[in-house]
Amino acid sequence: MHAKFSDEELAFRDEVRAFLHDNFDAELATRISNPATYKAATIEWQKKRYDRGWVTPGWPEEYGGCGWSDTQKYIFDCELAAIGAPDVPPFGVKMVGPVIYTFGSEEQKQRFLPGILSGDTWWCQGYSEPGAGSDLAALQTRAERDGDEYVINGTKIWTTYAQHADWMFALVRTDNSGKPQQGISFVLIDMKSPGISVSPIISIDDEHHLNEVSFDNVRVPVANRIGEEHQGWTYAKALLTHERTALSGIGYCKQTLARIRRYAAEENDGGRPLLADPDFQARLADIEMELMALEFTELRVLATVASGGAPGMESSLLKLKGTELQQAVQSLLFDVAGLYGAAIPGESGIEALGHDYGDHARREYMFGRACTIYGGSNEVQKNIIAKFGLGL
Amino acid sequence: MDFSLSEEQQLLKDSVDKYIAERYDYETRRQYLAEQQGFSAKVWRDFAELGWLTVPLPEAYGGFGGSVTDTAILMEAFGRGLVAEPYLATVLLAGQLIARGDNEELKARWLEPIMAGEAQAAFAYQERHSRFELDQIASRAQREGDGFVLSGDKALVFNGMAADVLIVSAQSDSGISLFAVPADAAGVTRRAFRLMDGQPIANIELDQVRVAGDALLCSEGQALALIQSVIDEATVAIAAEAVGAMDYLVKATTEYANTRKQFGLPIGKFQALQHRMVDMYMATEQCRSLLVRALCSVSEKEQQAPQDIAALKAMVGKYGRQVAEEAVQLHGGMGVTDELNIGGYLKRLMQIDMLFGDSRWQRRRFCELRYAESA
Repeated sequence: MHAKFSDEELAFRDEVRAFLHDNFDAELATRISNPATYKAATIEWQKKRYDRGWVTPGWPEEYGGCGWSDTQKYIFDCELAAIGAPDVPPFGVKMVGPVIYTFGSEEQKQRFLPGILSGDTWWCQGYSEPGAGSDLAALQTRAERDGDEYVINGTKIWTTYAQHADWMFALVRTDNSGKPQQGISFVLIDMKSPGISVSPIISIDDEHHLNEVSFDNVRVPVANRIGEEHQGWTYAKALLTHERTALSGIGYCKQTLARIRRYAAEENDGGRPLLADPDFQARLADIEMELMALEFTELRVLATVASGGAPGMESSLLKLKGTELQQAVQSLLFDVAGLYGAAIPGESGIEALGHDYGDHARREYMFGRACTIYGGSNEVQKNIIAKFGLGL
Repeated sequence: MDFSLSEEQQLLKDSVDKYIAERYDYETRRQYLAEQQGFSAKVWRDFAELGWLTVPLPEAYGGFGGSVTDTAILMEAFGRGLVAEPYLATVLLAGQLIARGDNEELKARWLEPIMAGEAQAAFAYQERHSRFELDQIASRAQREGDGFVLSGDKALVFNGMAADVLIVSAQSDSGISLFAVPADAAGVTRRAFRLMDGQPIANIELDQVRVAGDALLCSEGQALALIQSVIDEATVAIAAEAVGAMDYLVKATTEYANTRKQFGLPIGKFQALQHRMVDMYMATEQCRSLLVRALCSVSEKEQQAPQDIAALKAMVGKYGRQVAEEAVQLHGGMGVTDELNIGGYLKRLMQIDMLFGDSRWQRRRFCELRYAESA
């Protein structure tokens, strides 16, 4: 029972640090966090990792994985978080990629995996619909067979970064006769296809991340279907546990807490630093202790997976606790910013405002309200744990 | 990084889990508590025969020389079964203080009988005013010749009635010192009480108790660091006990919810109750994770170990009580009966919160360790 790194692992950590030092800096971080430069900067960051062969640590080596141990993956994630470097967008690398290499044909693998790795193809996820949120299996977007094409009609919603996307992976209904989970197929859709329209949804952080995507007789080759017809639910479910584990956001929380401590040491509160206030310390400590625990919960899950077990309800636990903590951290950051958290810099700019993190604190808090909703709402996660974990 | 148990640890776990499951049901436990010393002499002999009393004590004196993880394995199982036997008082407190002191005569005199199950011991450290502060000791040790005269009032001494030897903390001229005092020494008066989980304790009056100079466990005035290190590891041990108790409560409550029917359905089918049980499960898993974290940092003697221990005890104190309160609620009327064991777990988990600093106190300690410099 120990949490020490071996000499080889420490050497690996140094290697990661050196790579990050050479390839990631504050200027790139700023461009990634600015919506106007987000896409180009994100692809630039992915390409740097791609050139090093470090885009998809979680993939099998034959498809471009790094061949790292779980400890190495953990070290890599920690080092990214420590300097505030974001991970690459999850849609290709964490979501559709594993479905393609697990269930796709040889031709599909050769066609799609290289673009996912290099960042040249931007993916979006077509799951939720206006009538199918937590109850995803109620989805009604129709795909009717016409020769060697599907004709797709319907609407997808909450589609993150559809405005940037080249391709969408989508769940569509190919049969209505059985149970809702049956008759769903997993298809890859070229976003340039005629009949697709993307309308922005502005979220409460005043930004455009989300979209509604509608399909009006969109023709998709049957060759773009992954696996068997009507079996798409099985494929999607297989990847959901990976998605949830990826949603715990422990690195993000650690890095944000470090910022909170820095800011709180400088903010004035009753003539002393806010960080010296016992009430503030107690609130910060409650969050830090939960995070210290969740970090080890994640390590315990990784250890289970490494010894051949499947992340079952633990991945739901990580998603639940992780997103609760993300919101607690965002709420605390907003509070540390004080009224500056509410101020919108607008055209006068942050420099004229005289406060450099309130704007960010507000946007993170506002968009962060979504994290307990997406990826299966936290209430649905509790249902999953109750049923499959506790046997209720 | 490795969180798995060694083969030896797995054997220890299997044997203690089996013993508790087969030999320690709640009704039998009632009979043990009813015995005059508040636990079963036979169970204690079993513990000795199984070698469990030797686990944390050093090999040089015939102990097993186990790690904090070995102790945690035992304590988690004891927590699951609400074990009443004084493992904490005799082995983890008094035994460890003697073992880690530097008085070889005392080690020779007491460690072997303790490990053989023939001697009981207790650590008299609390006083009425001291609450959770280990260094706020009013009892005095006055030099007299080459010995000492001890005077003072010690409060709430675990296993104080059954103990053959008391380890007593007192202020001497050069600071805090520890003394081994035979429980039948002249001037020692013990008054028996019980805690709400049934275990006997004693308030102990020391009135001009004369001990020889060789009763000192370590150099005069130098005992605080020894006390702190033993209490730190004991804190991890009772946190493991709490995790065992919480784990039991999650299982017992979900089992009950699957059998108890109301409105024509097992109550476990109701979402409002399901989500409460999920919260119990998550709280228990978070505590287990902090336990693993503390076991790692304590056994590697890492710098952040005190922070990890404070976080662990703060969380276990808070969530242990919450989980037990929820277990009572979900068992409905039966949950508030003395007949059902659930209330016994509530009492034990509340006591664990109050032991060695409650969750509020431990959180403050965590803050002092973590934010003092930057604030």
